[in-house]
Amino acid sequence: MFKKIKRNLKIFLLFGYQSLKTTGQSRQAIFLFTLGKILRFIFLFGIIFLVFSKTKIIAGWSLKQVVILYLTFNFIDTFSQLLYREVYRFRTQVISGNLDLILVKPYHPFLRVLVGGVDFLDLLLLIPYFFLLLFFIFQEKISFFSFFLYLTLVVNGLIISTAFHIFVLALGLLTTEVDNAIMIYRDILNLGRFPIEIYQQIVSFIFTFIIPIGVMITFPVKALFNFLSFNNVVFAFFISFFLLSLSIKLWQIGLKKYQSAGG
Amino acid sequence: MGKYFSIFTLTLKEYFAYRLNFLIWRLRVFVGFLIPFFLWLTVIKEVKNFTGYDKQSIVSYFFFSHLLAYFILGTRTVDISSKIQNGEIINLLLKPMSFFYYYFFRDLADKILNLLLSFFEVFLFFKIFSISFPSANFQFLPFFFLFLTLGLFLSFYLNLLISFLGFWSTEVWAPRFIFFILISILAGNFFPLDLLPKKLFSLIILTPFPYLFFLPVKMISSPQTLMDKINIYFLFFMGSFWLIVFFFLARFFWQKGLKSFSFWGR
Amino acid sequence: MIFVKNLTKIYKVYRKTGNLIKDIFFRRYEDILALDEVSFEISKNELVGFIGPNGAGKTTTLKILSGILYPTSGKVSVLGFPPFEKKEAFLKQISFVMGQRNQLIWDLPAIDNFLLNKEIYELDEEKFKKNLQKLTAIFSAEKLIQKPVKMLSLGERMKMEFIAALLHQPKIVFLDEPTIGLDIFSQEAIRNFIKDYQKEFQATIILTSHYLEDVKRLAKRLIIINRGKILYDGSLTKILQKFSSVKYVSLILEKEVKKEVLFKIGKPIAYQFPKVVFRIQKKDLPQVVAFINDQIPYLDLAIEDEKIEEVIKNLFENHKD
Repeated sequence: MFKKIKRNLKIFLLFGYQSLKTTGQSRQAIFLFTLGKILRFIFLFGIIFLVFSKTKIIAGWSLKQVVILYLTFNFIDTFSQLLYREVYRFRTQVISGNLDLILVKPYHPFLRVLVGGVDFLDLLLLIPYFFLLLFFIFQEKISFFSFFLYLTLVVNGLIISTAFHIFVLALGLLTTEVDNAIMIYRDILNLGRFPIEIYQQIVSFIFTFIIPIGVMITFPVKALFNFLSFNNVVFAFFISFFLLSLSIKLWQIGLKKYQSAGG
Repeated sequence: MGKYFSIFTLTLKEYFAYRLNFLIWRLRVFVGFLIPFFLWLTVIKEVKNFTGYDKQSIVSYFFFSHLLAYFILGTRTVDISSKIQNGEIINLLLKPMSFFYYYFFRDLADKILNLLLSFFEVFLFFKIFSISFPSANFQFLPFFFLFLTLGLFLSFYLNLLISFLGFWSTEVWAPRFIFFILISILAGNFFPLDLLPKKLFSLIILTPFPYLFFLPVKMISSPQTLMDKINIYFLFFMGSFWLIVFFFLARFFWQKGLKSFSFWGR
Repeated sequence: MIFVKNLTKIYKVYRKTGNLIKDIFFRRYEDILALDEVSFEISKNELVGFIGPNGAGKTTTLKILSGILYPTSGKVSVLGFPPFEKKEAFLKQISFVMGQRNQLIWDLPAIDNFLLNKEIYELDEEKFKKNLQKLTAIFSAEKLIQKPVKMLSLGERMKMEFIAALLHQPKIVFLDEPTIGLDIFSQEAIRNFIKDYQKEFQATIILTSHYLEDVKRLAKRLIIINRGKILYDGSLTKILQKFSSVKYVSLILEKEVKKEVLFKIGKPIAYQFPKVVFRIQKKDLPQVVAFINDQIPYLDLAIEDEKIEEVIKNLFENHKD
């Protein structure tokens, strides 16, 4: 058992290393992309201040709380992009037939198609985001318990993100029609930059309980400030478990229905 | 002209070839609308009025902004760079039609389809959430059309310019990414530009960004608040200035690119 | 080693009618029978060639045997495993090479890719080195492995693909159109490589190809497949016996012969004095030769078999129904 974990870890690191080597070859792109992401981060951060220059509270959230939410969003978003970058290339691999060559190898295909393209550029940003996040959190009076719950729910959010990425992979197996499934995930996730309560009733409900962006991002922050009900905490863990199992099942069904390219 | 019309219809057909993809695209566009819309609606709830905006004008601003943003900014010219890379562009150059016209009509199909669909989607959305439908301000209609045309062409030449980078470098997505980010923040997608403090606003007026779609949107939603602050003719002058700059830049780099183009790639 | 019984594979494909409205709202799906109750067995150390036109079912068969595709019905067992389950123990013993497709990472040198495979297949250092050396030597590719893959020509890249695919000494090797698109020299090199590999490592090799040359050179056993059905499964030489009923008789004439006389033999398929070629049914051969000896003044007479390509082509033509 332990040997297996070691081996998978080794393969994971090897893929990551190769991914690093490949991206490292284009320095101009690295510079521009990182610059772009930093610009976007600053601008959207600025919007928060712009919004709060007009009002003290939105939907029951104060400036400090919204800032922490935004930083939590950035952390979760960047972390998943960092880890699951390879999902963006999945469709190309299916169409070109490369997927077949991956399926025939003696390791779980997820090691390649899910986490095989770790984007280390994002790691450069993740670290400052992380420290920035901690900085703002520790400015508030937070109990140890709330902080612990917050961390658990952030991890929970990452599990939901994993489930979404696996859904995208499964979709890629079932149809080649969709070339932007991952982008819709990103667009919907963007709704989570701001507290989910700002979206009115039905929309807020949908994005909390059905496509649980709210669970991923708003819930942990609410827990941090002690306004998350116990029921919601339970729901949060339940939904992540449910979505993850569902996504894996869908992937397995996808494999059976897979028709491969060409020949 | 017939050939350009068929390019138009062909582009439309391409969309419907993939149903699921099409639906997802519409969903994505719509979700993009929700974020700033609800954000500012929530702000308005707290503070009935700010910097000349009330509930009605904010709804109006985002409604028209959503309709016009893609109409102006949406483009097929993104595939020019890859066509340059893999040599496909040769096919286009050898056909008896203008390269610029070809892309213009392709874009037009794109834009009109999107305009109609967006209108329909937002209409449904407002109906479901009982939000009162904004009325267009026809007071300054001629200015609206003027700035709309300005924005359309400005966007067209700007997009072309970025695509022409493909003549000299394989890395076009990085600059395009930066461009995209700059636009999404500075063009008025996320918030009405005139919410900015005066100093910043006067700086932005000097850049090409507001002329893309902020100005036409303003002209049709709540022109008065803008007209009170700034001379409209100055704005028109600035917009035209940028249009001329990008027009010549695009043509210049096109000629240069064609000359230095060596059909590399596979 | 490989047991296939009544294997069937049906693809669902949707049919575009070209009518915009119909295609959006009333989609019709079609079932395509890719394999129709196919059965065969392959044992250790065999080299089998699958031949068939495009869409015949060759690649589908290979993909089912390697576990990529899920069979619609029938029994498949490879090395004692049901391939689709893709058990690690199974995958470690097989290898799949697709012509013109790359599993090597583009920007990196081949050697990096080999090292990755070493980890994936859990080869120990010694074995890895030994196999790498042997395989590289067969191709004389010692210098090539250090170059980034994107800088290699198609032929060189395929060589690297082969090395990567065989480092772990698989017991079964699936080759899907391995020489497609390659120049003559690379094709030769690959064919020799496959032959040498089998001799050295005693592997079972299953090969599909459009180039009959590949099959003629390598395979002793031929499986001909068309539209999902096996038309022939047996040795290469026997195929002529079984399916060819024709011989070609070519004559070099000593002097001009009257048309009517020649036509008594049959209508020539080629006639450019002094050479004339006839296509004769095997059963008629003795009397034709007798007639020629008797009536035709010739300098040279040659009797040749029908080309295997022709035989196979006719086989497909007749199966068209």
